[in-house]
Amino acid sequence: MAEDLLVLENVDKRFGGLRAVGGVSFRVPRGSIFGLIGPNGAGKTTVFNLVTGVYRADGGAIRLSDTQLVGKTPAQIAACGVARTFQNIRLFASMTVVDNVLVAGELKRKATLTQEIARTKHFWSDEKDLDARARTLLDAMGLLDVADVPATSLPYGSQRRLEIARALMLQPKLLLLDEPAAGLNYGEAESLKEQIRGLRDTYDLTIILVEHNMQVVMGVCERIHVLDHGVTIAEGTPTEVKQHPKVIAAYLGDEREGEEAEA
Amino acid sequence: MKKIPPWAMVLIGALVCVGLDLGYDAAVSADRALKFWMHIAVICAINVLGATSLNIVNGMAGQFSIGHAGFVGLGAYLGGAVAARVALMMGLSLAQLHDNLTLGQSMVIMPAVLLPVIVVCALVGFVVGLPSLRLRGDYLAIVTLGFSEILRLTVLGTAEETAQNPITRAIAALGGSLGYRGPRVGTDFTGVPSVAGPFWTVGIAAFAVFLALRLKRSGYGRALRAVREDEIAAAAVGVDPARYKVTAFVLAAVGAGIAGALLAVQRDGPGIVSPALMKFDRSFEVITMVILGGSGSVSGAAIGAILYTVVFYASEEGLRIAGQSGVEIFAKMDAAALRMALFAATLVLVMLVRPEGIFGERELFEKKDGGKPVDKEPKGKSGVPGALEA
Repeated sequence: MAEDLLVLENVDKRFGGLRAVGGVSFRVPRGSIFGLIGPNGAGKTTVFNLVTGVYRADGGAIRLSDTQLVGKTPAQIAACGVARTFQNIRLFASMTVVDNVLVAGELKRKATLTQEIARTKHFWSDEKDLDARARTLLDAMGLLDVADVPATSLPYGSQRRLEIARALMLQPKLLLLDEPAAGLNYGEAESLKEQIRGLRDTYDLTIILVEHNMQVVMGVCERIHVLDHGVTIAEGTPTEVKQHPKVIAAYLGDEREGEEAEA
Repeated sequence: MKKIPPWAMVLIGALVCVGLDLGYDAAVSADRALKFWMHIAVICAINVLGATSLNIVNGMAGQFSIGHAGFVGLGAYLGGAVAARVALMMGLSLAQLHDNLTLGQSMVIMPAVLLPVIVVCALVGFVVGLPSLRLRGDYLAIVTLGFSEILRLTVLGTAEETAQNPITRAIAALGGSLGYRGPRVGTDFTGVPSVAGPFWTVGIAAFAVFLALRLKRSGYGRALRAVREDEIAAAAVGVDPARYKVTAFVLAAVGAGIAGALLAVQRDGPGIVSPALMKFDRSFEVITMVILGGSGSVSGAAIGAILYTVVFYASEEGLRIAGQSGVEIFAKMDAAALRMALFAATLVLVMLVRPEGIFGERELFEKKDGGKPVDKEPKGKSGVPGALEA
C-alpha cells in the first residue's frame, strides 16, 4: 500500500464550550477514496474546515505528506495542493462559468501584477495556458458549452460539477468533496460513483468524501471513518463499518443512550 | 485593425496632454468665460481619478470604504507642501508663486510632488487596509470613516499658539483650521503654487482609467472579484483575500492621494488646502459618483464622476443666471441645498430603478479580451451584448 498522504493526529476543535471535534486521528493513503461519515452534527464538515484552514485546530497535528497544515491560511493550504467543494455550493455568483474556474488558476500564474498591467508576453502566455486548461476541465465536466454564462444561472447539478472543475484547476493532490450527492436521485448517485472513481484515476487524486448518501459512500469508498458528536466511533472497510454496533446505534439511535441523554 | 503598441499609446497620450496644456493657457487668457468651463473640465478629471480609485476598493474588491476623502486630504496637504518647498528650492521668487507656473517648471515640480504622495499614501493605505482583514461591511466602513475624521480633526485642532512639540508644530505649520496657504510672506501667504496644468490633471486621470481597466481585465482583477463574491471560496482556491484586499486599499489610497495633490496644486487652483477637504461629505461625494456610474465598472465610475461634477457646477451657474433674470425665488435659493436635494433624489431614484448604477458592472466598450481564444461556435441564446454579464 502506498504511503499516507493526509494524516490527522488527535485533532481538537472547540467552539466555546462545545467540543466539535475531539481527538480525531486518521490516515488517508495516497490514491485512495476515503469516506468520512456520521450523523448530522458529527463534525464532518468541521474536519474539512480544519484541514483546509478555515478553522484552526486547537490541538493535534494535520500533515499533508510532510507538511504541517495547522497554522497555515486557507490560501496557503490550497497552494499545498488541497482543494475542496462546499456543502452549500459556493460559487462566485456574478462571474461566468469559465471565470469561476480561472480564479483557481491564479496560483499557477507566472506574470507579476506589473507584467499583467503592462500586458507583456508573460501575461498572454499565462492567459492562453490557463484558459486552455480551464476549458479542458469544463469539457471533462460537461460544462464547456455553458462556459460563458453566469455561474448561478446553471442548474444545481451543474453547479456542483462546476465546483469540482474549479477545485481541479488547482491541480490538487487531495480533493475534499463535501456531500457531492446531496439532492441527487438514485440514478444520478449511481453515475456519481463512477465519476468519483474517474476523477481519482484521471487526475491522480486522493479523495475524501463527506456524504450522507450511503449508496454512494458504501459503493465508492475504500475506507470509511465514522464520527459521532466529534469523536471517532469506528473506522474500516465499508463492510466492517456497516456492521459496527456503534455505527448502527449512532445512525438508528440507541434507546438506552437516548434515555441517558435525557436524564 | 493593427494593434498599437502600448508605448506608442502612452506617447500619443502624452503629446495630446501637452497640447491640452498649451491650449488651456491660450484659451484661458483669451476668454474669461471659457476659463470657468475649462476649470470644470479639470475638476472633472480630478474627480474621475478619485472615483476610479475608490471603485477599486468599493467596486472591484467589495470593501466599503467611506474614508476616501482622508486620502484625498493627505495627498493634498503633502502635495501642496512639497510643491511649495520644491518651487522655493528652484529659486522661484515669492511673487512668481502667486502666478501659474509653466509646463516646463511643472515637469520638475510634479515628479517631486507625486513621488512622496504615492509613497506616503501607499503606506497609510496599507495601514487603513489592515482592519479589512478582520472587519467587513458597516464595521469596516466605520474604521475608514474614523481614519479620515482623525486626520481632519488633527489638522483642524492644531494651532501654532498651542503647539508644544515638534510634531504638533509641524502639523500647525499646515495652517490648522485656516488651511494650508503656501509659504508665508510676513503676515500673508503666497498660496499653494499653481503647478499642474491639464497635462497632469487630465493626463493622470486618463492614465488611471486605462490602468484600472487593465487591472479589471487581468487575472488580478478576476481574483479581486472572486474575493468580493466569496472570500472563503476564493481562499479555498488559493486566492489570499488578505493580500488582495490590502492591495486594493493601497491602490485606492494612492489614486486618492494623487487626486488630492492635483486638487491642491492645479493651475488656477484655489491656492489653499483646507481641512474641509477631508470631511465626510467629500467621501460621500465620491461614493455617489461610483454608485451612480456603477460599482465595479471603471467607465461607470469615470462617467459618474463627470456627471456629478458637471451637475454640481451647472446647478450653481444655472441658479446664478436664473437669479439674474429676475425670478426672486432663484436668487434666494442656496446652490448647496439645491444640490443636496438633487443628488439625494437622484440616488434614491437610482436605487429604486437601477440599483447596480448606470453601467452595472459592465464597461462602456465591452470587448472580448484578445488573449482568450474566441468560442468556436457563436452562442445563439442571447443576442444582447453584455446581457450575459448583467
